[in-house]
Amino acid sequence: MNTGSNLLDVEGLSVSYGSAKVLFDIALTVGPSQIVACVGRNGAGKTTLLKCIAGFLKPVAGSITASAASLVGLPPYDIAKLGVKYIPQDKKVFSDLTVRENLELGSYATKDYNWEPVTTYFPKLKTLMDRKAGYLSGGERQMLMIGRAILGNPKVLLVDEPTEGLAPSIVSHLKNVFRELSKKSALIIVEQNLPLVCAISDKIYAMNDGRIVAELANEASIRVEVCEQYL
Amino acid sequence: MDTSLIVPGVIFGLSIGSIYFLMAIGLSLCFGLMRIISLDQLLYYSVGAYITYSVNLHTGSFWLGVLAAVAAGAAVSLAIERIVFRRIYERDLTFSMITSFGVLLGGVGIIKFFWGLVPRPVPVPISEQMSIFGTEIPIYRLIVILVAIAVYIAIWLFLNRTIIGKAIRAGIENVEHVEGLGINVARLFTITFLIAGTLSALAGALHAPLIMVDPHMGLEVLAFVFMVVIIGGLGSIKGTLISSIIVGQVVSLGSLIYAPLAQMAPFAIMLLILLVKPTGLFGSVLLKR
Ligand SMILES: Nc1ncnc2c1ncn2[C@@H]1O[C@H](COP(=O)(O)OP(=O)(O)OP(=O)(O)O)[C@@H](O)[C@H]1O
Ligand SMILES: [Mg+2]
Repeated sequence: MNTGSNLLDVEGLSVSYGSAKVLFDIALTVGPSQIVACVGRNGAGKTTLLKCIAGFLKPVAGSITASAASLVGLPPYDIAKLGVKYIPQDKKVFSDLTVRENLELGSYATKDYNWEPVTTYFPKLKTLMDRKAGYLSGGERQMLMIGRAILGNPKVLLVDEPTEGLAPSIVSHLKNVFRELSKKSALIIVEQNLPLVCAISDKIYAMNDGRIVAELANEASIRVEVCEQYL
Repeated sequence: MDTSLIVPGVIFGLSIGSIYFLMAIGLSLCFGLMRIISLDQLLYYSVGAYITYSVNLHTGSFWLGVLAAVAAGAAVSLAIERIVFRRIYERDLTFSMITSFGVLLGGVGIIKFFWGLVPRPVPVPISEQMSIFGTEIPIYRLIVILVAIAVYIAIWLFLNRTIIGKAIRAGIENVEHVEGLGINVARLFTITFLIAGTLSALAGALHAPLIMVDPHMGLEVLAFVFMVVIIGGLGSIKGTLISSIIVGQVVSLGSLIYAPLAQMAPFAIMLLILLVKPTGLFGSVLLKR
């Protein structure tokens, strides 16, 4: 339902790779300051969903609306400019560029040159500014990916498996960061880590074979055991 | 082999290598960022040479000709980028190769229409020589080398010190991530193509006094320029510089040893390098997408 107060509305979204249809009639909404999680098996279509919202894939049907603007058909850089930013699963920073240069690109795109929030969330980055991003550890890369995406105060962050392969201490740090971030931006997080998902989400969509098969939106249902049924 | 020929041979090689370098940077950047093979760069090279020829003929000023050539190269490449390449960036590499070859052949036809088939000479603007290690070296060739060095420094500063340059480097690694940050990559593509076209025209203008300007001059350097790009490693400016020096020297010194070598030796060197390092000297595995 389009309530008008949502930051992001997806309705009837279908996506194909060539002739292979991978998303069927997806509908979801994200409200202000919400953390919405998306869970599902490998190959369920979670990455495809985020990439489509971010403009990297064109849907064959459906609508995507962010703050009254239709995103379908816009190039990814315009969607990012509208404040809907995708943080990819691959953890690929610009490895030939320094951490500082990676952040400079985020600033250049958004005209937001205030790195204070970034270094507040991730103090570690301060000490790594002049290091080539290619030399960063997996956790540091994820910090940089998030850091350069939150410049310009995005309205909606689309975060694809942020904790994949990271140590527990960094995962719990990211958990706090997402909570903090949600005060200013709404988040859609694709995640396999169910305890994390259940700890921070206001709403969970479970996906299977390209369809949303469940929507968990209250405290009683946002539990690891409930989520597990859908994996 | 006469050792007194070595110094002029080396300078000759460096000046030829400089021309190849100017053309190869553009090809390399265009492939790196946009994943296109832009054979039409050879057209802008020819256009550069012909504009220099005509302006020099009518005004008597070679350097004015070079300026006009660079301006023309910029204008023509900008137009081709808008009309042709914008529509095919998304397509396969082979698509850009065939399309740009079409642009090149069409452009050569237009050149023939305006300037005819007869090769045109462009007088060397500076005929003075300079003595280096006891041998006389044409100053003009030294100027060509200096221009290439200046361009290398300028491109290096552009890529490493300006935000647009940094965005281009980032895009060579991963253009989707650059887009995802909200950077207009279509504009980066245009800027990169413009740089390539302008440098190709500059190469043609500077090369004109050293050769005869004829409609097929682009096709004559094609093999050597591609060799420079491939040996250097696609997308690497430093690699392009080093490989253009190598190819220039092989062509020049090879011909001192045995004339037919000049044509063959570069290919042999390329094969050898590719056997050892298939990505070229500085080609990075990062470029796999
Ligand atoms: N470029 C592509 N071309 C064709 N099919 C694709 C492409 N990318 C993904 N797919 C297919 O689409 C389906 C959904 O893939 P997607 O990457 O969205 O899954 P996912 O839920 O993100 O999985 P994971 O948890 O492994 O990241 C899969 O069946 C996959 O094989
Ligand atoms: Mg995925």
